[in-house]
Amino acid sequence: MTGINEPFTAVQIQLRPRMWLLSLTWLIALALLLMGLATVILGAVAFFKFRGEATPAYGDEAAHFAYGSIGTEPNSGLPYWMWKTLPSLFPEQFEGRNDYSAFGFLYAQDAAGRQRDLPIGISRRQVSGVEVVWFNCGTCHVGTWRETQDAPPHIVPGMPSNNLNLYRFVRFILDIAADERLAPDTLIPAMERQGAHFDWIDRLAWRYAVLPRVREGLIEHRARLLPLLASQPPWGPGRVDTFNPYKLLLELPPGSRVPDAEAVGTADFPAIFNQRPRKTMSLHWDGNNDSLDERNLSAAIGAGVTPKTVDHEAIERNAAWLMDLKPPPSPYRPDPSAAARGKTIYMQVCAGCHGWQGADRFVFQGDKIGKVEPIDDVRTDPNRLNSYTQQFRDWQLSAMFAGTRYQFKHFVKTNGYANVPLDGLWLRAPYLHNGSAPTLADLLLPPDQRPKRFLRGSDVLDPVRGGFQAPPCPPANTPSVFCFDTSARGNSAEGHAYGTDLPKDEKQDLLAYLLTF
Amino acid sequence: MENDPIFSPLKFRNLTVKNRVFRSNISGRFDNEDGSLTQTRINWESKFAAGGVGAIISSYVPVLMEGRIIAGYATVHRDDFIPLWAKLGEAVHSFDAKFIMQLSHSGRQMDLPGVHNQARKAPSATSKTEPLHGFLCQAMSKAEIDHTIAAFARGAWRAREAGLDGVELHSANGYLFSQFLSSGINDRTDEYGGSLENRARFLLNVIEAIRNAVGRDFHLQVKLSAVDHNNVVPWEKRGNTLEDTVAIAKWAEAAGADAIHVSQGSLFPHPLNPPGDLSLETLTTTYDAMISSGVHGMRNYLLFRYPLLRPTFHWLWFRMKKGKPIEGVNLEEARVIRKAVNIPVLCTGGFQTASFIRNAINSGALDGVSIARSLVANNDLVQQWAAGADRPEKPCTYCNRCLVSAMKNPMGCYDVSRYPSREAMIDAVMSVYRVHGQFVIPSKEVMSR
Repeated sequence: MTGINEPFTAVQIQLRPRMWLLSLTWLIALALLLMGLATVILGAVAFFKFRGEATPAYGDEAAHFAYGSIGTEPNSGLPYWMWKTLPSLFPEQFEGRNDYSAFGFLYAQDAAGRQRDLPIGISRRQVSGVEVVWFNCGTCHVGTWRETQDAPPHIVPGMPSNNLNLYRFVRFILDIAADERLAPDTLIPAMERQGAHFDWIDRLAWRYAVLPRVREGLIEHRARLLPLLASQPPWGPGRVDTFNPYKLLLELPPGSRVPDAEAVGTADFPAIFNQRPRKTMSLHWDGNNDSLDERNLSAAIGAGVTPKTVDHEAIERNAAWLMDLKPPPSPYRPDPSAAARGKTIYMQVCAGCHGWQGADRFVFQGDKIGKVEPIDDVRTDPNRLNSYTQQFRDWQLSAMFAGTRYQFKHFVKTNGYANVPLDGLWLRAPYLHNGSAPTLADLLLPPDQRPKRFLRGSDVLDPVRGGFQAPPCPPANTPSVFCFDTSARGNSAEGHAYGTDLPKDEKQDLLAYLLTF
Repeated sequence: MENDPIFSPLKFRNLTVKNRVFRSNISGRFDNEDGSLTQTRINWESKFAAGGVGAIISSYVPVLMEGRIIAGYATVHRDDFIPLWAKLGEAVHSFDAKFIMQLSHSGRQMDLPGVHNQARKAPSATSKTEPLHGFLCQAMSKAEIDHTIAAFARGAWRAREAGLDGVELHSANGYLFSQFLSSGINDRTDEYGGSLENRARFLLNVIEAIRNAVGRDFHLQVKLSAVDHNNVVPWEKRGNTLEDTVAIAKWAEAAGADAIHVSQGSLFPHPLNPPGDLSLETLTTTYDAMISSGVHGMRNYLLFRYPLLRPTFHWLWFRMKKGKPIEGVNLEEARVIRKAVNIPVLCTGGFQTASFIRNAINSGALDGVSIARSLVANNDLVQQWAAGADRPEKPCTYCNRCLVSAMKNPMGCYDVSRYPSREAMIDAVMSVYRVHGQFVIPSKEVMSR
């Protein structure tokens, strides 16, 4: 007996072997067609939606310095909407404010007198259609000063970023890498509450591409940097370890540790006024490079660019502007006769290394100005010097921008710290490369009499001692102040005892002259 | 009318027809599944006889059950059907018309195989699957060919026994004879394939066998496709030329044929036969009956059904019609054949205008015309001509809805635009079921409402 579903016509029998094949073929073809169609449509939409590569252009040089991108965003940045949302997700870290001022980022006002959306030193760039923000030159080189605690701050491009607690900010970003508040289910609605307008394609893209990529990057940075940062004394406001994070992110293989001997390289952000006269000088605190261009590019790498993402044109525009950027004149008005006497002393004791302040301009002259002073002579804290090693220098020259006209050629390993010109001295406090002497008066004290523990981070001028107010640390830690402890590694206030043995009167005269810088 | 060539008798060797108008072979599924004919068939043929045609060429009548095109058409494969056919002959004769039985065999061109044939491949000259519908087939052996030749002879004998007036061999339009004759289809390597003589052997052997069975004095005509145009499916070969068909016609005459009936095309339907339009929309409601008949049925149905796919079929079908007339589409081919033979030549192909037919006859292109669709539309077309009309008031529009409805619905004119209403159209179609006593020419009845 034949089955009820057995074919019986000639056509059925002929078609029977093909039926399965046909069905399967059609199903596969249909599935492939639908998948292909969906891929093409989604691909086209994604192509048009996520292909943008652009960054705002600023006609004004100062605005470009403060807000223009140098190419840090693709490799190091955070999506704009994530940046906007973090204050609401981590209010305890932002001291309840809906901006980044808790970390010392500076906000200027727009033409209408409103606080600008992004702080100075944060630029934006569209990366694959997603707005991303991160550091630029202004992050580390724009600071403020005030005459009194209640006076409004004056923002000064080119001076060290005396407010910015970069250590705290970086630790915060690394700490939240694995925080559940960055999961898409929390973050995407939070971003929408901040004003992001996402359609369903955006949501899919953010959930399955943008956020995983960002988080993966954060976790990778955390794995590389956190052990180093955790081992270092907190840097405090206005300071950075320039080369050690750079080594971990670019040079050393994953899982490496920076050898202990070089593991603390924390130093103050430098002022970057008047670059033209510095052209032939040894640059960086340890004077390891005499090329402005290489120094600039290296600093940009510290900010987050890579050889692939760097925007040379934007950096060169900043460099050109900085060539002749003058510091604002000192607001101090010391006794002119004391200053005149002090100048005589300065010219004997200091000018050979640091140049001098003329009536209307700083004079970049001196036998040893811009040259490296051996560590055995200057005797200041050696940690910053030791953090830059011959091995790292050799790697820089062989690997960075290799094969391009930007390839590094000028880095050298030195054995001391460079004698820096003192233009804009009144804005550079605290003093010495590591900021261990809070005021000029303290710098003129013998090293063992300099303050051991003092508050850093104030931008209120100290018209008597020269610098920013730096009272002794309170007994217990107080929120939003940073106690600088000279006993911590890298923070030593030893060395640079020049002028410390002058008689008191002469010291007063010298201080009066220094206040005019 | 006395001098009107349309109404002058046409004398064949063994048959005289009162005028030059033949009802061409057309029918519907009016008969029984076993092949016995019904009163409906008698009604059908009588309608046209009553309308004034000189002779009825029956629709396709298989000589064997395995040669049916569509189950439900009467056959002549059994002696006990002779009385039934005799009844039909009597009915047609009562209207002073002659009845010529078209002896046929589908070969592979089997539209609706029916219960007898669905479980086997159709016998054919070839084993190549039919390209348009995908009808399966098996090349006939020599013994099967001999059996089939004998069946044709026996079928002709039964027609004569039934008192009919003659037979026609349907050796056109893609059926079994075409499958042997056509160089585009016949791929045999024996004495029935290869050269034109070999390909014509089956037809000529059948004529010889019929003559042996019925004698020299029984009318026998042969329907031929003047040109095959076998490449409707573009990758197929073109098939026989007019020159080939002229030779076949002469050989048929020599073998004992009394007339040649000229058509066109090596499959049915064909873009040039019947000429005119093709309603794909109607096919979507009827072709489903044929989906399971061939291995390409579903493909075709999809081509008909989905407007996005229709242009593909439209291009295939209508590319051959360009520049061709509908009325008299085969006229010039008939003229060539008529010049080559010494027996009368009939021609089919869209005839509907009296003056056109008169000119055709007077010009020597043909001796008579065979008409199907125009007579389905106006059963009394000949009477209208006799009354002086050149064309009927509501002529056939050549829409071919009659053709594409045949698989599912009773044969009739389905061009609703020719009727006062859809109900009137259905009335006209259903008139075929009225018994003889009630028989009225439906076009007169319906159109006069």
